[in-house]
Amino acid sequence: MNQAVEQSFPEFVELRIPSRAEWVALARLAAATIANRLRFSIEEIEDVKLAVAEACTAVIQYDGHGEFIELSCEAQGDSLRIRVRDGGRQAALSGVKERIGFEEARVAGLGVFLIRTLMDEVSYDVHPKNGTELLMVKRLAGRPD
Amino acid sequence: MNDFRPDREQTRALFARFALARTRHEGDPERADPDYERLRDELVVVHLNLVRFLAVRFANRGEPLDDLIQVGTVGLLKAIDRFDLDRGVEFTTYATPTIVGEIKRYFRDKGWAVKVPRRLQELNLAVNRTSDKLAIELGRSPTVGELAKRLDAGEDEILEAQELGQAYNLLSLDSELSGEADKKSQTLAETVGIADAGLELLEDRANIERAFEVLSGRERVIIYLRFYEAVSQTEIAKRLNVSQMHVSRLQAKALEKLRSVLVE
Repeated sequence: MNQAVEQSFPEFVELRIPSRAEWVALARLAAATIANRLRFSIEEIEDVKLAVAEACTAVIQYDGHGEFIELSCEAQGDSLRIRVRDGGRQAALSGVKERIGFEEARVAGLGVFLIRTLMDEVSYDVHPKNGTELLMVKRLAGRPD
Repeated sequence: MNDFRPDREQTRALFARFALARTRHEGDPERADPDYERLRDELVVVHLNLVRFLAVRFANRGEPLDDLIQVGTVGLLKAIDRFDLDRGVEFTTYATPTIVGEIKRYFRDKGWAVKVPRRLQELNLAVNRTSDKLAIELGRSPTVGELAKRLDAGEDEILEAQELGQAYNLLSLDSELSGEADKKSQTLAETVGIADAGLELLEDRANIERAFEVLSGRERVIIYLRFYEAVSQTEIAKRLNVSQMHVSRLQAKALEKLRSVLVE
């Protein structure tokens, strides 16, 4: 079974959910599933779920958020790359200067500190038209096997 | 909600004063220094919201929130004592990993790795048990909202527990049966026999369960009572408040439906 999993990489999951709290669980689940495929430990999977939830919450709680959140999870070698993007009408309308979402929203700010603690690599990208994108990477720690 | 973060300038000023007091204190640790203690306390109070913010996020992992806040505060104290203004990072940036680290260590000391799946499985089991119970009470399948209310959990938690309960069950073939880290214990897979005739039965059952979807609610009840619970047609008729003839007709129709699906 494990062999089959390893042979099937790379894997890619993309999800678009409404920018609302009740959809965050789905994002968490999608990320958890792919993290599990990479054979992350239970604790690491919980961390990934928490990071994804924080990222989504950051978007939702930010006043100028868009209509939907786009999540993409990619298993690549021994690392999991997750992108969370704030998208939709409003997000597209705001200029770059106003689109400081992830970085500046106060509550989101704390979420971002937490995300940095949980993931190995975190970066932002502000698109003038497409809203803010948060990229986070978690690598598989050294496994005994 | 927006007051999670203390004012940046104020925090810096507080830390500057604390750094002076700390140097004094370190020069003569024996002497009581009210300034040092007071500033340290003040810094803790100012950042308790950060601890709370972080602790809440780990509260779904099976330990009481108060305990998490307590160990998180230990982390905060460590961060306050080690923080150096000259490094040019914001205190929150510096403290978050320390606090989270402390919380995680607490879970690890408590045997957390075993606990998470267990908690999910428990919730998963609770969902199954409670949905049966609620179904009897309500006379229909309960909604997720009703389950969440009864189990005092969030709706998303219920959904997740249901999904993840299954995921972990599937995974657990590779998992070790004993939780002791230093001993190589038997895995679940090793305990499973081979070519068990029961497996085919299981497959049949899975097929039948799928086939059941073509049945109407009443037909399903009849088949269930008749063939799983071995209740007589007369008894079923009484329970459904219809004639025995009617039950017989419905049963025949349901069986015909099932047959046609299973033959496919």
